[in-house]
Amino acid sequence: MLVTGIKVTLILAAATTIFSLVLGTIVAILRISTITVFRALGTLYVEIFRNVPGLFWILFFYFIFPELLPEEWGQALNGYIYYPVVAGIAGLTVDNASYVSDILRSGRLSIPHGQREAAISSGLSRVQQYVHVLLPQMFRATLPPLGTRMVHNFKNTSLCMAISAPELTWATQNIESITFRGIEATTIATLFYVGLAGIMGAIIITLEKVLRIDVSAKKNSKIQ
Amino acid sequence: MIKFIGANKWFNNTHVLKNINLEITKGEVIVICGPSGAGKSTLLRTINKLEQIDDGEIIVDGMYLSDPKTDLTALRAEIGMVFQHFNLYPHKTAVGNITLAPRKVRGLSKEKATERAHKLLEKVGLTHRRDAHPVQLSGGEQQRVAIARSLAMEPKIMLFDEPTSALDPELINEVLDVMISLAKEGMTMVVVTHEIGFAQKVADKVVFMDDGEILEVGVPPDIFVDPKHPRTRAFMSNVFHIPIFDDSLEEED
Repeated sequence: MLVTGIKVTLILAAATTIFSLVLGTIVAILRISTITVFRALGTLYVEIFRNVPGLFWILFFYFIFPELLPEEWGQALNGYIYYPVVAGIAGLTVDNASYVSDILRSGRLSIPHGQREAAISSGLSRVQQYVHVLLPQMFRATLPPLGTRMVHNFKNTSLCMAISAPELTWATQNIESITFRGIEATTIATLFYVGLAGIMGAIIITLEKVLRIDVSAKKNSKIQ
Repeated sequence: MIKFIGANKWFNNTHVLKNINLEITKGEVIVICGPSGAGKSTLLRTINKLEQIDDGEIIVDGMYLSDPKTDLTALRAEIGMVFQHFNLYPHKTAVGNITLAPRKVRGLSKEKATERAHKLLEKVGLTHRRDAHPVQLSGGEQQRVAIARSLAMEPKIMLFDEPTSALDPELINEVLDVMISLAKEGMTMVVVTHEIGFAQKVADKVVFMDDGEILEVGVPPDIFVDPKHPRTRAFMSNVFHIPIFDDSLEEED
């Protein structure tokens, strides 16, 4: 049960990290768009998903979302044995993406206006400007807060116990109530959480080091 | 090559470009000078439509900028622009900065683009700095890389927006030298600058602007030494620091 718990937690963490990064990037681009409708959509997204607890969204995707679909689809989802995991991924993703988009947006604001102008005047299309000039700088500038956010999201996977997704916290709780081996299970769970969050932190610090550009090669004048 | 016909622009209620009429032919080097706030940079930036005019027309290389069908990306690929603050991409090396647009816009292979970048870096005297990132370069070096980056697109026109204003005095000449050699090769150049020496050496025409208007256009000796317009005369005497004796100043003593 513990092994399954670890597996499910890993799946939840990996999937939501990737999906929320993608969704968060899209929302961030909407929010910094020059087109008013896009900007409004992006802002609406953040206002809705960031201001409502993540747990609510997990419950929403598990209980309410299937009801909103045509009946057969809803029943198919409810009958799907992995649906708790899927609903958990959906809930955590929409929640985390709102934070990711906000962090990335702050990264965009830190990039001088001239970067975009240089990209425009060299003939790069809008998409190319983002892919080659703006996004790489946004991710670099926001790596530390983005990393912290992902660790936070990793811990939030435990919220999925509320919909009986068999993740680690749910497993620990179950072991406790069935076998009364709570201390052992809790110890293992604690070690796992600390270990994995530690690994995530180490990855982020390594990334920061790899991406840091060494200034020491030559002293530089004051501009930029 | 570039033609302004009755161009006007407003920022809210400020009339920043007033009825601009100007023609720049192929191979000409034009220097735009004037006090700050005169609209020099705005004028320059309308040529590749970083700024849009509200009235009138600008024709660049046969393309009408007000025509919504004009392919702006294609137009901008033909116009190189060099900025006051260089605006190099900080996450890319010198070569990476230079090869980006040729690869993505012109569709050059990585090898071809890199080869071109190496040639251009040699031209601006920075072969030894190929793999340096912008933060590792001096201001003068950054600006030379920025010029090489623009040239890599093989543009028909080069725009310079106060390219030496952010540089330490001793780094200005290395950038001007590159610009002078470019002018001598026959590049069409529009340069906003206060470098009178540069203008005297290579400019075909000097445009003097103040308060959104072109007050005077002429060859460098005329504008610098014998300006017709009183505003130009006042500006030039300040630039060359010729003391003006004024009654009001004497009274204070």
